[in-house]
Amino acid sequence: MRVASRLADGLELFSYNLGLALRNIRRNPVLSGLMVAAIGIGIGACMSMVTVNYRFAADPIPHKSDVLHYIRLDSWSPDQSWQGGDRPPPQLTYVDATALLEEKRAFRQAAMSGASLAVESDRRDEKPFFVDVRATTADFFALFDVPFRYGGGWSDEADAAAEQVVVLGTDVNDRIFGGRDSVGETLTLSGRVYRVVGVLDEWQPSIRFYDMASGGGPGSEIEDMFVPWSLIVAAEVPRRGNTNCWKPLEGDGLRALLASECIWIQFWAEFRDTAEREDYTSFLDAYVNGQKELGRFPRPLNNHATPLMDLQREIGSVPTEAQVLLGLSVIFLAVCLLNTLGLLLAKFLGKANEIGIRRALGASRRTLFQQYLVEAGVIGAAGGVLGLGLTWLGLKGIDGQFEDDLGAFLQMDWKMALVAVVLAVVASLITSIYPTWRACNVQPAAHLKAN
Amino acid sequence: MLRMHDISKTFRAELVETHALRDFSLDIDEGEFVAVTGPSGSGKTTFLNVAGLLESFDTGLYRLDGVDVSELKDRELSRLRNEKIGFIFQNFNLIPDLNVFDNVDVPLRYRGFSASERRSRIEAALQRVGLAGRPKHLPSQLSGGQQQRVGIARALAGEPRFLLADEPTGNLDSQMAEGVLDLLQEINKAGTTIIIVTHDPTLAAHARRQVHLKDGVILNGAETAP
Amino acid sequence: MEFGPIWRASMRNKTGIVLIVLQIAFTMTLIINSVGIVEENAKLLATPSGIDEDNIFHLRSSAYDDDVDARLIIEEDLRQIRATPGVAAAVQTNSVPISGGGWSMGLATAPEEGVEQVLTSVYMVDEHGVDALGVELIAGTGFLHEDVVWNDAASNWPSKVIVSKAVAEAIFPGDPTYGVGETVYIDQNEPMTVTGVVERLAAPWPGWELVRERAILVPRQLLGQSHLYLIRAEPGRRDQIMPDIETRLAASDAERIIQNMLTMDQTRGRTLDANGALVNILVFTVVVLVSITSLGVAGLTSFNVTRRIKQIGTRRALGASRRQILRYFLAENLLFTVIGVGFGTVLAVAINFWLVESFSVPRFSWYWLPITMIGLVAISLLAVLFPARRAARVPPAVATRTV
Repeated sequence: MRVASRLADGLELFSYNLGLALRNIRRNPVLSGLMVAAIGIGIGACMSMVTVNYRFAADPIPHKSDVLHYIRLDSWSPDQSWQGGDRPPPQLTYVDATALLEEKRAFRQAAMSGASLAVESDRRDEKPFFVDVRATTADFFALFDVPFRYGGGWSDEADAAAEQVVVLGTDVNDRIFGGRDSVGETLTLSGRVYRVVGVLDEWQPSIRFYDMASGGGPGSEIEDMFVPWSLIVAAEVPRRGNTNCWKPLEGDGLRALLASECIWIQFWAEFRDTAEREDYTSFLDAYVNGQKELGRFPRPLNNHATPLMDLQREIGSVPTEAQVLLGLSVIFLAVCLLNTLGLLLAKFLGKANEIGIRRALGASRRTLFQQYLVEAGVIGAAGGVLGLGLTWLGLKGIDGQFEDDLGAFLQMDWKMALVAVVLAVVASLITSIYPTWRACNVQPAAHLKAN
Repeated sequence: MLRMHDISKTFRAELVETHALRDFSLDIDEGEFVAVTGPSGSGKTTFLNVAGLLESFDTGLYRLDGVDVSELKDRELSRLRNEKIGFIFQNFNLIPDLNVFDNVDVPLRYRGFSASERRSRIEAALQRVGLAGRPKHLPSQLSGGQQQRVGIARALAGEPRFLLADEPTGNLDSQMAEGVLDLLQEINKAGTTIIIVTHDPTLAAHARRQVHLKDGVILNGAETAP
Repeated sequence: MEFGPIWRASMRNKTGIVLIVLQIAFTMTLIINSVGIVEENAKLLATPSGIDEDNIFHLRSSAYDDDVDARLIIEEDLRQIRATPGVAAAVQTNSVPISGGGWSMGLATAPEEGVEQVLTSVYMVDEHGVDALGVELIAGTGFLHEDVVWNDAASNWPSKVIVSKAVAEAIFPGDPTYGVGETVYIDQNEPMTVTGVVERLAAPWPGWELVRERAILVPRQLLGQSHLYLIRAEPGRRDQIMPDIETRLAASDAERIIQNMLTMDQTRGRTLDANGALVNILVFTVVVLVSITSLGVAGLTSFNVTRRIKQIGTRRALGASRRQILRYFLAENLLFTVIGVGFGTVLAVAINFWLVESFSVPRFSWYWLPITMIGLVAISLLAVLFPARRAARVPPAVATRTV
């Protein structure tokens, strides 16, 4: 019972203090507005940059990033390492990707490359349009837990038989089929007829994370369509993405590329535990050693099965510009808080008289401290809410600066929102402790006698 | 030296008109020690402000040391205050963040004296009020009596034509008040004109001439000389 | 000026001065460290291309039927485009200056290995190339119709080349004829004769400093399914003919998709949007921060005025004119701001050193230090002008008021 009554007393005091705080804030609207604005703008600037950095560094597929591994083999030139560093080249040759697929040593694995196809309509008056396509193997959908609205992916057999099947993204299904269940229907892509086997549900990782070696950075989006890997050869689906070679091609056309040492394929594998990963790494080493006997892989063994997040960090997924901007925004916030601190100090010291009277009337230093802290907290919370709005606005503003639509990338989630409000309240409490302390140290007598 | 003729000043607040001074005339000569007394609301403070060039007046003539002040601009009024008048305030009005030396220095800087001139004047003035040993003290480190002495030193340092004291002992206990009063009398004897504005008859009694104010006018026959 | 007493008085109440000094110092740190980044990116944004940007646009036409005679299509397309009223010149090329994507090759003066290679970007054009780009030929001649070779990416290079002045100066330093008539070797051992030199032609990559100004034109046309046309309109007619060209091409052959029809402005925007964004974000940040700082300084001074009303009145009574009161507050602010920019300079330079070392942020030009210092002092003085004038209006009678 005593606890309850003390709690009630505490609540009553708090609401009394809250009332006083609100009255004080209203009595000085310009000053209070200035303080709220300063905190808000500081938080807005800082949180915009924190969000940008957070999004760059974010895990695009948190529930399984630890089991997803990116496979790299050092097939590069005997004369120099890849870009002079100690890392293997970022993509695989067709020869190696094909070998790894055939061995099927991982729990799941997928080879992939970007591609491009023209969607042709039966109607003459409708203009054809290009779509971004990912050519990949059957495991892709299970590997990345891709959600389906209708149907599903294709089978290994469809892959092997180079069946002309296609999985559509939500947007392109909306555009071509008006969003209906198009599974089983056909469409013409660059002169060939494909059968729809699945339609994706909304799948919006912030970036095309599985394509980091070939354009999957900020602003990159998931492709419109997915087709079986074997069609790269069987249907000569035109590729897009980076291709790097260290040796001239022998002969012309696609055949020459397939047989070459040029790298252009991304390869992902899923391991359920470390043992699987270790097995796979030794398999890779054995494979490369075998190839060395055939005169390939002139460089020392340097094979990697890199977990997704390690890969992101290695590529340096957060640009230095974003990091520098984050640093500058912290200075910005510091100025805003110093500003608020000064104004708060001036305000509280300006009330030395009132404080003197309250103390003379028996308010303890502690009570006053609470009262002014509540006032500072209210201002901080208001600043936090404003800061949240300004962060949103700031991200919109940053998005507007770019040709690509970064809307999906530069999104604030509830975690960032929470961080913003907490940061604002903590910041304003920190800035208010000194002014409050100064105000509460006013001698009760001094201000009653003079003046 | 100070000639006021038919000075009137009225304050208007909404519906009420208060005549702070009504056809007020007063002459004060060189070397006098005058006390202007009266209850609160009698127009004492208005007299103080008008005489000290702190406020303007509505009608009448005020010549200070031969200068008609009614048409003067802010700059010229400020200069007159600085050169001719030494103010002594009830609350001392020392600047709390400045030490004794810098406080006495304030009016001298506005006069534009050189640094060495200021230094010698400050030292002389502090000597005169008996505070030569404490130039680095802050007002808060001094007693009330000492603070008022600093105020007097500040008023004296510029060698004004007269001192204008507003309840100079109002915030002091009787012992300290005595000391300040002795100091003022000593200064007067040395030749400086002094005008004290006070409601305190015992203080006024020390002056050689008393002027009693009520409702903005001098009470008839109330002017007393010792 | 009364800096002595102001300084001694402010030392009695250090918080006030510390707050203003830190604000000014941090503001200066942020400005100085933004300036270098803004300078470098603004320079990139302004990279001159050497081509007639105002009148040039380009588009990509892709055939999706893989059974086509590419040369026939290109020649017919170019005939159509060149016949369109308002077109000054047109060419099929592999890449566009400042567009962010293209070819780079090494050039050498001898076919042996080990000879130093001069890296340059490559534009593949026909005899209309110089005209279509609107580049200025400063030596030699352009290409002839018979110079043009048609082949695919893996095949040989033509025997003629036009180089940009920057390339000529890199290969033939000090040669007053810019090496016209000399032979250079591309792809290790394929000889090309320099027939002409253009004053300026930018590479597709403004951010690649080494190659930024290096470009060559070769009379070569690539066969393939996708063709990039660069079209130069007669002055002022670009926007009018862009839709005409699209309609003509679309009508001539239905088996194609026309994409990326862009003016050079748009191309620049796409390539350099991140640089522009960085400049805008930083400039915006600096403007907002300076506003906040000056509002803060004004607010603090305003409070000091209110707190010191009695003191101001006393000073007035003791003979200070309005102007002297105004000057007092300006002097006080000047003192704090000067200390702030002094401390700010040290902090800004220290942080800049660290940023340059750890993040390879560009160093700022030294003259920004005095500019920023003077600017901040001026803005800060302007900010206190308002509260200082309020102080100057405090009536002297306040001194005798006992409240």
